[in-house]
Amino acid sequence: MTKSRILPVLALLALGSASAQTLTVGIDADPPRLDPALSSALVDRQVLNQIFDKLVDLDTDLKVVPMLAKSWKITNNGTTYTFTLRSGVRFHDGTPLDAAAVKYSLDRNMTLEGSVRKNELSSIKDVKVINDTTVQINLKNPYGPLLGVLSDRAGMIVSPKAAEKAGKDFGNDPVGSGPFSFVSRKRQDNITLAANTRYWAGAPKIDKLVYRPFPDGDVRYANLLSGAVQVITPVDPKDVTKLEKNSRFELLNYAGLGYQGIWFNVNRDVFKDKRVRQAVAATIDREAVAKVVFQNTVSPAGGPFPPGTPAYSSSIKVPKPDVAEARKKLAAAGKSNLTFTLLTTPNAINTQLAQLYQAMFSQAGINVKIEQVEFGTLLDRADRADFDALMLGWSGRPDPDGNVYDFFTTGGTNNQARYSNKEVDALLNKARATSAMSARKATYNVALGKILDDVPYTWVYFQRNLIGMAKGVSGIQPIPDGIVRFHNVSIK
Amino acid sequence: MLPFALRRFVATLPTLLVVTLLVFALAKLLPGDPARLLLGEEATPQALAELRQSMGLDRSLPEQYGRWLLDLAQFNLGHSLKDNASVTALILEKLPTTFELALLSMLFALLLALPAGIISALRPGGFVDRLVTLLSLSGISLPNFFVGILLIYLFSVKLAWIPASGYVSFAEDPLKNLTLMLMPAFTLGIGSAAVMTRYLRSSLLEALSQDYVRTAKAKGISSGVVVFKHGLRNALIPVITAFGLQLGGLLGGAVITEQIFSVPGFGRLLVDAVFTRDLPVMQGMVLASAVLIFLVSFLVDLAYAAVDPRIRYR
Repeated sequence: MTKSRILPVLALLALGSASAQTLTVGIDADPPRLDPALSSALVDRQVLNQIFDKLVDLDTDLKVVPMLAKSWKITNNGTTYTFTLRSGVRFHDGTPLDAAAVKYSLDRNMTLEGSVRKNELSSIKDVKVINDTTVQINLKNPYGPLLGVLSDRAGMIVSPKAAEKAGKDFGNDPVGSGPFSFVSRKRQDNITLAANTRYWAGAPKIDKLVYRPFPDGDVRYANLLSGAVQVITPVDPKDVTKLEKNSRFELLNYAGLGYQGIWFNVNRDVFKDKRVRQAVAATIDREAVAKVVFQNTVSPAGGPFPPGTPAYSSSIKVPKPDVAEARKKLAAAGKSNLTFTLLTTPNAINTQLAQLYQAMFSQAGINVKIEQVEFGTLLDRADRADFDALMLGWSGRPDPDGNVYDFFTTGGTNNQARYSNKEVDALLNKARATSAMSARKATYNVALGKILDDVPYTWVYFQRNLIGMAKGVSGIQPIPDGIVRFHNVSIK
Repeated sequence: MLPFALRRFVATLPTLLVVTLLVFALAKLLPGDPARLLLGEEATPQALAELRQSMGLDRSLPEQYGRWLLDLAQFNLGHSLKDNASVTALILEKLPTTFELALLSMLFALLLALPAGIISALRPGGFVDRLVTLLSLSGISLPNFFVGILLIYLFSVKLAWIPASGYVSFAEDPLKNLTLMLMPAFTLGIGSAAVMTRYLRSSLLEALSQDYVRTAKAKGISSGVVVFKHGLRNALIPVITAFGLQLGGLLGGAVITEQIFSVPGFGRLLVDAVFTRDLPVMQGMVLASAVLIFLVSFLVDLAYAAVDPRIRYR
């Protein structure tokens, strides 16, 4: 720990525990990697967003807003992005955040061994430093989702000095320029951050931010009730009503970016005929799923874009269950006695869901065998296309491209169905090469029409963000990516 | 005593080697690809191949085992896939916490079991005996997680006497440490207390019906001396066995208890490693627990030999 990083900690100690305000947050897992390049877990982002600033951020309407970049210009038919940086920003270790640091961070994300960001940044040709406060990103081809990508881990700027020194161990002592600086971590117990009193947008209102992992939803909830933590994210759906009725607490319940549903392996004999896939999808009562399994803490889904996100279109309706239609399609495909296996993981919610699907399918005479394997195996079997149907969703990305491209293009990294449709490929590539959202939205809707007819995947519901907090905690912005930014949060 | 100890120790070495083979094989038999799980939903085939190679997963199984064994011989358990921390350091960091938890829960168990077992053996069939039987049967039957959640609900949520979770090391703040450990130690100890009460009761009952006890009584020795010197000493042998078995079982119980009370010990590290398929951590921990259980059973044997000299000369 360098001298300049000890200072905020010492200042904190000098204030004394009586006046120093600590906010403790219960999260659902111990964040595996606090390194923007290596992080592959959703929960990492909760902590990373306090330590690191990004080039750009998102607001509650998912609009890309300035953060480290004050402004940007897109030229050369969408292949050159020129960012003007805020001046005078310093990392927690005292070194200046300039264009060279931005270039270093982006290059690091693109080249570090094991970096999970390579795919997101694969459209970048090179990053150029123009002067201290100007940096230019040149793309191989136009890539509309770039700003959305830079609003997450790919756009987090790390201290080159610290990253150089720590190498792959950077995640054990991360140094950024965010509103909070890393103090210490005890695995499975806590991650402690201290307010960055010299933060460029003003010091945070709390002095200390502590994250504590509680993998069990009941334990997380009990800790909120007992006052051991002041904020929990997420809240289990079954605790939502109890929390709403309790006057000592508040619940933030707002739309997220992700979706859940079922993949159909289009190469398997059972699902080769699209009428069969249409039939299975038609039996699902999405309203019932939301009500029975989730007590209405999720919204029924008809496509990949949740309401409130830029590409959402009201013309894409949530389908109503139609058992008669399903039977007709099965008969036409000559599969009146359809039997297949549904692969899922053994947690309580997925078990309940799979059983509900089983009951819904059976109304159309479809027999389903449920097979439960743990998550690693599920992903592995998805990679090898060793399944009939598979329950798997997506946490969602702020840019619509992140919710469809890798899933439905031929050979896409997340194309579990092995779906291939040349027209869809062309449309999704066209949308990604366009900058204006209105034009992209129109293209997505055409592509979606084809995907919805082919049914390699059927969307069932959109997750919502559920954050529980003690009365007196204020300032949490309902940003759809589900990450709580603690810079302006205060406790009474 | 020393030759016995040595003989006993050497006998465990081949077993330990078999354990290493089993640990290695088990980790390999687990379904799921650790590289895939680590990289999660966003993995690209290229990143997967890179990671598999750096983890040595592309080598043959005998080669992987050989390398692992070689490292092991140098007390190198490898590095966590998750954050590159040394597995040995991780285990050493977590063990003291779990030891404290196990020690406190054993203390609870002994404090409850000794008086309860003795009293009920002295008046078999009486009111106290029946009450103790009822309580100890419930103690054996109630699962850890149930007792734990019940305690949290009662003492943290309803009465707000003790925080539901958290951990402060003993060195940092002894009082706070003990307060926070109270509920986990009780949760973990209650089952052991129940088992040991049952053992002590029946073995003391049997000892007290032996001829030598009757003789001692006939000689006019006070009943206190008869019970504690002649009865209890002989009755303790099976109880020590039970104690040893319980101590080994505590590691398993600690996994659940630590999860419920968010105690950052050995058990939570293990659960985390299993869920993230952190193979080096998992293998290191299973091996460490095997060694610990060997150690405990070794110490139990020594204690045995100390209580009953016949065992040493067998």
